[in-house]
Amino acid sequence: MADDIKVDVTMDLKGMKCPMPVVKVSQQIKKMAVNQVLVAETTDPGAQADFPSWARSSGNEIIKTETEGGVSKFYIKKLK
Amino acid sequence: MEKEKISELRGLMKTRLNRPMRYYLDLCTRCGLCYDTCHVYQGIPKKEYSPVGRSEVVRRLFKKHFRLSGRLFPYWGDAAALDDAVMDDVYEAAFSCTGCRRCMVHCPFGIDIPHILSMAKLMLIGNGTAPEELVMLADMAVEKGESVEVFRDGFKENIRNLEKDVQQRLGLASSEGLIPMEKKGANILYVGLSGAHSIVHPAVIFNRAGENWTLSFFEGVNFGAFAGDPVKMDLIAKRIINEATELGVKEVVMVECGTAYRILKFLTGEHPFRVSSIVEVIHRYISEGKIKVRGGAISEPLTYHDPCQLGRNGGIFDEPREILAILALDYREMSPTREYNWCCGGGGGLVALDNEQFRIKSGKIKKDQIAATGAKIVVSACENCITQLGTIQTGYGLDVQVRSLTELVSENLDI
Ligand code: SF4
Ligand code: SF4
Repeated sequence: MADDIKVDVTMDLKGMKCPMPVVKVSQQIKKMAVNQVLVAETTDPGAQADFPSWARSSGNEIIKTETEGGVSKFYIKKLK
Repeated sequence: MEKEKISELRGLMKTRLNRPMRYYLDLCTRCGLCYDTCHVYQGIPKKEYSPVGRSEVVRRLFKKHFRLSGRLFPYWGDAAALDDAVMDDVYEAAFSCTGCRRCMVHCPFGIDIPHILSMAKLMLIGNGTAPEELVMLADMAVEKGESVEVFRDGFKENIRNLEKDVQQRLGLASSEGLIPMEKKGANILYVGLSGAHSIVHPAVIFNRAGENWTLSFFEGVNFGAFAGDPVKMDLIAKRIINEATELGVKEVVMVECGTAYRILKFLTGEHPFRVSSIVEVIHRYISEGKIKVRGGAISEPLTYHDPCQLGRNGGIFDEPREILAILALDYREMSPTREYNWCCGGGGGLVALDNEQFRIKSGKIKKDQIAATGAKIVVSACENCITQLGTIQTGYGLDVQVRSLTELVSENLDI
């Protein structure tokens, strides 16, 4: 459950133009420590494809995804 | 720089030394006619931001490493050897250029500076100093092509949500099937971007036109091309080519993204389907009477910015103007325009880099051009341009709204 996850940074990326949501998250996660969690909130339908693919190619992990009212929240754990 | 690295980079240069590249490198007389034709030079008047200033960085390396005269008498021909400092210049040359090719239309020999800089970009990849944002985005896009199964359901679920938005805009009773996916034998495969706006507005138009269409799982933009990585560029484009071929569509329609259109249309060989921009399709629907837009719906003065990859490098000039001629009561052309239009400064993947101040400065001539029209609305048909025009608008406090052509059409359909 999301309540059990300690979130270190939350980013509001709603309404940003392509490709800024992924760029901003990628920049932010570089500043964080291993095992910290970032939550990315976005309204982009393509984020459902972007974030899992980005996590796989960058060696991070999406530990939870929530979608409600058109807003998706990706809980991303920094792995390395 | 270590000997092995120099040899590796020299090897990469060699892979780009085809006939056009040798022609361009040998033929430039350094006459300087292109010097001030670059928007970056207009905003930041330094030699290294002129087109010939950029190509010289590559030409000197070519001279040193591939010409006997350059090896024997490096000072005569201004030859330069590969080292770390030169690679910094290579970076600055390659990633301050938007690939707009405005310089090319002013060069008496038609020298293609972005083509020369493709060698610079390849060397940066080999050197491990290509912009990490572009490499990351290209890797993400390649991975997406290999893991559709991972995101298929989540993506489709999000698309179902967007259908409600389309339903509302069209005033229909049901949202079912308004954004079809995986539809075999559809006429059109539409390729959008990540943002909802890039899907909802075209969906409104396709539905209004009664089109038999289907939405792609992938985004049109190609960060492999922006990074200058030909292998990733191909892999990213192939995701769409394979999807279109498997579905058996007749036409692939690209979102408002100049690079996406140009790569699929001109740079990836022949396809068993036609490639069009959404702008061409909207124009076609209007000409055939499949959709109607409200004539004179916009009374404020309005101008159009030609995206370089759609206009100068793609040949789409008339269609957007003919659409806007119906919508706008007071259309104002920028000067210069069409193939001589100034680049906004957002192309080449530059909007994805952390360089806002640079982009504001390099957008100065575009700001002046828009301001001179007195327009209150500037329309374009490329997501990159729209982002950069927004940066120019806020950076200079310009009193204009930046709008997408597809959005304007969708909002002003005669329903
Ligand atoms: S105009 Fe052409 S030939 Fe002259 S300096 Fe520029 S690229 Fe070289
Ligand atoms: S292609 Fe455009 S950005 Fe690049 S050097 Fe030529 S004018 Fe400048």
